[in-house]
Amino acid sequence: MSGFDRRTLLKLSAAAAAAGAMPIRAYAQGEPIRVGILTPLTGAGGNDGPRMLKAMQAVFSEVNAAGGVLGRRIETIVEDDQTNPEAAVRAARKLIEVNKVSVIMGTWASAVTAAVAPVCWESKTFILTVSGADSITLLPHQGFLVRTQPTSKLQANAHAEFIAGMGHKRVAVIGIQAPFAVPTKDHLDSILKTKGGSVVSHVIYEKDKPTYRSEIDQAMKEKPDFLYLNGYAPDTVVVLRDLFRANINLPKFCQSYAVPQATLDTMPPEVSEGVMTGQPSADVESSAYRKAVERLGAKEIDGYEAQATDWASLAVLTMAKAKDTSGVALKDNIRKISQGSGEKVYTAVDGLKALAAGKEINYEGASGPCDFTDIGDILGCRFRYMKVAKGKLEFLKLV
Amino acid sequence: MEALQLIVNGLMAGTILAIPAIGLTTLFAVLRFTNFALASHMTIGAFAGFVANTSLGLPVIPSLLAAFVIAGLVGWLSDEFMLKPLRATGFITTAIGSIALTIALENIVRFIFGNAMRGYNLPLRRDWVIHDIRVSPQQAENLVIAVVVMALLFAFLTLTRTGKAMRAVADNPMLAAIKGINADMVARLVSFVGMGLAGLGGMLIGLDTTIDPLVGFKTILSVFAAAVVGGLGSIPGAVVGALVIGVGEELSLLVLTPAYRTAVGFIAILLVLTFRPRGILGQRAY
Repeated sequence: MSGFDRRTLLKLSAAAAAAGAMPIRAYAQGEPIRVGILTPLTGAGGNDGPRMLKAMQAVFSEVNAAGGVLGRRIETIVEDDQTNPEAAVRAARKLIEVNKVSVIMGTWASAVTAAVAPVCWESKTFILTVSGADSITLLPHQGFLVRTQPTSKLQANAHAEFIAGMGHKRVAVIGIQAPFAVPTKDHLDSILKTKGGSVVSHVIYEKDKPTYRSEIDQAMKEKPDFLYLNGYAPDTVVVLRDLFRANINLPKFCQSYAVPQATLDTMPPEVSEGVMTGQPSADVESSAYRKAVERLGAKEIDGYEAQATDWASLAVLTMAKAKDTSGVALKDNIRKISQGSGEKVYTAVDGLKALAAGKEINYEGASGPCDFTDIGDILGCRFRYMKVAKGKLEFLKLV
Repeated sequence: MEALQLIVNGLMAGTILAIPAIGLTTLFAVLRFTNFALASHMTIGAFAGFVANTSLGLPVIPSLLAAFVIAGLVGWLSDEFMLKPLRATGFITTAIGSIALTIALENIVRFIFGNAMRGYNLPLRRDWVIHDIRVSPQQAENLVIAVVVMALLFAFLTLTRTGKAMRAVADNPMLAAIKGINADMVARLVSFVGMGLAGLGGMLIGLDTTIDPLVGFKTILSVFAAAVVGGLGSIPGAVVGALVIGVGEELSLLVLTPAYRTAVGFIAILLVLTFRPRGILGQRAY
């Protein structure tokens, strides 16, 4: 103790206090902007959620490395929605009430988004989603919701054109109980009817059943010439296995999220042979898509990773444009950077630079142009069709 | 003909539930609490069988054996260290503890294997068609396995000294203790066998579908329904209950759309319990 007198000790204490206070002051100036990511890390969406999460975080890391937004760092708070509406609502409340986020992105299943959306608009929290059911954007969300996924109507119409184009007339729809089940069937039917065909049977089944033999028997009663499987991955695998066992070799179609490569790998190749899939396509020719692929260090990315890239970019650019990070600011300003006659930008960082230079911008995304209608739907997108051969997905066509 | 096919489909759906239901009911018969950790042990069995089948290249029967043994060992250890200390505080505490345990174990499986769906490396066989009725060979095998397991368990309980000790503890634990039966040893054995059966059932479900860490959780309610309808604590009851639930759900399709199938299973529980509160076959263990 001999080296310290009272004065030295006081000086050291003051210096230590100042040193301690400095980062606190810096933190206060640039308190991070908290962004809520609520996505399925488990459950039926467990194949897409983690990849979407990675895509969003990659954008935020790039933005942070370039100096953040409004001088602040983006901090993500991640919750697993478990592809389960009840768990998702609990997680959304936590994000909004405890973490004080002003935006939530990443919900996947339509039933989950339908449950979470009211929590968001009630608390003036903005939400970006990939859910496709028509009913989602018809909710009274007051503008607090946009989605980058085409509606069930857009998707079903495109699929019906695809099926009719192959000459099939009698389509059986076998699908999971979900908000998109009936609308999808209705849209398919109405387009098929204009081409001389129709939906001849429609069976809705429950999730998590170990077998769907009887459902398949029911659908087959009307002697269809084509099967449209409208489920998620876990149940579609069971349906495909039961179809194989029952020796039903009709051509069949399902959404790409129901049979990603990882799911195909779980079954013998003869079970999935010939299955056709469709998905809203990432805009593979766009500069935004190429940059997203580069950012993720992948060879290619799918529609979900592309959409996740776009949510993160749209949120960041809207905050910068509005000079405000609140949910209301996001709601009021998103269309000012996503569409219009401003300079086209393809990444969040380029957009931030253009905004800083005082320019108007129009973000063109990796998933498509990201132009939204008044109720939050996208105006259009491309569709990519694939076909399974020997257990692998092969490109069929882009429409 | 349609009703007959539905009954066959129902029997096949029911057999999938029968084996884990036997496990649940055996555990209840001796330990006298509903062990919801059965769900995670189904998952553990399914993954143990998966490793045996895909990594070690074993055929289906040795893989099923691996599923039984690994799930049984985990069942014994988790009961010994987690649930046994709770039993003194009453069956509700223990049952809730078992829910916590099942979530913890399920997440350990998730940590090790990830969330991706996986499938066994086994060929899929086409249905047999007998007089226009389709029967799945896999599910017919499940039925045989369920009956054999039930017969073995039945023989074990009636013919062996240890089995008789288990029944004694099930009937009257205090009297069994006075007669010098080591209740702790019986509890360990029943945890091993009960959870082993859960693991076996988990793998059989996986053979029909795919597996992921939620494979047990997704099925546990139906398994529970089967055990309750048959008579919680009765081993033949578990099989009967599983078949009743399976056939009931399928036959409901004659008048209802498939979207209400599960509701029918649970309405069956309400009906059975209203008229036979102890289930179809009562609560005797054998």
